Amino acid sequence: MIELKGLTKTYADKNVVDDVSLTLDTGEFGVLIGPSGCGKSTTLKMINRLIPLSGGRIILNGDDVIELPAEQLRRRIGYAIQSTGLFPHWSVAQNIATVPQLLKWPKSRIDDRVDELMAMFHLDAAEFRHKYPHQLSGGQAQRVGVARALAADPEVLLMDEPFGAVDPLTREVLQAEMKRVHQQTGKTIVFVTHDMDEALQLATRIALLNGGKLVQYDRPIELMVKPENDFVREFIGQADLGLKLLSRRFVHQYQREPSLEHHATLPGLDHCWQLDAAGSPIALEGARLDDDNEITEVKPEWTATPDMSMKEALSRMVWFRVMVLPVIDENGKLIGEVGMQGIMGIESDIVAESGLNAGEQAS
Amino acid sequence: MSGAIQGAQRLRAASAGNRALVVLMLLLIGLTLGMGQLEPLFRAMFPDLGSPLYSRASFLDLMLAHIGLVLVSSLISVTIGIAAGLFVTRPVGREFEPMVSSLAAIGQTFPPAAVLAIAVPLAGFGFAPTIIALSLYGLLPVIQNTIAGLGTVPQTTLEAARGNGMSRWQILRRVELPLAMPVIIAGIRVSVIINIGTATIGSTVGAKSLGTPLIAGLVGNNLAYVIQGALLVGLLAIVTDLLFERLERRYSFGG
Repeated sequence: MIELKGLTKTYADKNVVDDVSLTLDTGEFGVLIGPSGCGKSTTLKMINRLIPLSGGRIILNGDDVIELPAEQLRRRIGYAIQSTGLFPHWSVAQNIATVPQLLKWPKSRIDDRVDELMAMFHLDAAEFRHKYPHQLSGGQAQRVGVARALAADPEVLLMDEPFGAVDPLTREVLQAEMKRVHQQTGKTIVFVTHDMDEALQLATRIALLNGGKLVQYDRPIELMVKPENDFVREFIGQADLGLKLLSRRFVHQYQREPSLEHHATLPGLDHCWQLDAAGSPIALEGARLDDDNEITEVKPEWTATPDMSMKEALSRMVWFRVMVLPVIDENGKLIGEVGMQGIMGIESDIVAESGLNAGEQAS
Repeated sequence: MSGAIQGAQRLRAASAGNRALVVLMLLLIGLTLGMGQLEPLFRAMFPDLGSPLYSRASFLDLMLAHIGLVLVSSLISVTIGIAAGLFVTRPVGREFEPMVSSLAAIGQTFPPAAVLAIAVPLAGFGFAPTIIALSLYGLLPVIQNTIAGLGTVPQTTLEAARGNGMSRWQILRRVELPLAMPVIIAGIRVSVIINIGTATIGSTVGAKSLGTPLIAGLVGNNLAYVIQGALLVGLLAIVTDLLFERLERRYSFGG
């Protein structure tokens, strides 16, 4: 658990971080976000004391960080930065082993840990162990950077715009991996970014800063439906708020029983799945924009899984021009379907959940 | 595939370099020990000279004395140079950087002959004044390259080192020095090569070196002596340079 209490940083009589107080519980993925110069990076670097505090306190799992020797504190905290900061003269394995080595772990334990981390980040140990940073792609280097930060099993992981310098495609892959690693390790993470989509994708808590002040600290969904003021609303971006909401929603929340026989309801929505002997969908009858009687072969590219985001599901529907996607389990068996109509209900659904219509719900 | 070809080319280039180094080293040793064998050759080239082979001291003696001068002075240059370079790149010494840089530059602007002239009244004749002149003269490249080398270490690398909990000393020893090493060695290389050439003038104040036959030849109008001294100094400089090249390569990593 990290507690910031009245955290302040002053440069030349100006408060670049101004009385910021927030608590991040163990296991949470906290994102510090805001326009450039809002003090988000400064806040992060005060946690491991790369930047000295001007005022306030930071409590890490009960310890005031000021009272710990800086080097000892930093070995308890993982640190990953933009453009990796890998040591160019050390191999991948040596880089990952940085903190365990400083902590004087026995060699066999270090080797095991390096292997474990490389496996976690899908880096083939035989291929990558002895490579040098300049031989890695941007995405690989960034994975090594995060692996290094996690090496000594730190209590907290600090990440300063770690995916800021990689191409958009790689960034998406790394974000998905980061999410998985967070779920796997249950680490408390503080992550700085200026990219709202990245924040919504990863965070369990978002702290929005502006001019050094904490504007709003909330769960992502609340930030979207209950913005504190116009600044928050503008920063999230109104234009594709619907899509952003969908990116936080998952197929299993919208999934319904699959329709296995035709019933004449609305035009364009009457449809039926054809299954094979194992229960996997092989074709869709109807539910096309153009022709209700058309039979469409089911392809993996337009199936959905329960943990897929609704944004992605919608994207697949639009791209493959179907009104409904089959939801399949890991064996490929049809377990449900998700359709356009479901998505349309999202607005009232979210508003109800976030408690805006609490009165209505209670009655 | 292309990597393999490149590797093979590099290997071939390296072995060619090795062969050149071995040949030149053998030549250097051979000439140092067996210059006397070439007496007939020098006699044929310079028939007017009474004694066409320098014989007041053995070339081995002169060579060892010369190497001794260069070693001692370079050791002093390198020690002071790296220490000064480290000092002015630490937070405590940062404000001294311009001063140290210009002092080192002045050290190299003074001709070594002038430094010798000043040093002789203070330190007497022979070894000591030569060492002072050579050490001063070789200081600049070492200081400059130490500062430049440490300056090439990327800020993000230093931040990562700090963020991962390295102490100042660990950052210096494990990150800054290894990364700066190729540039620092290049500076030492320049300093040593300069000193191999410059050590010859030590003979003007009585320090024994390969400059002794050279100066004797110039004074006594004996071109054969000059050639014998110059040949050995030149060879020594080339061989040393090639050795440093290999050292630099060993300390550089990647492409």
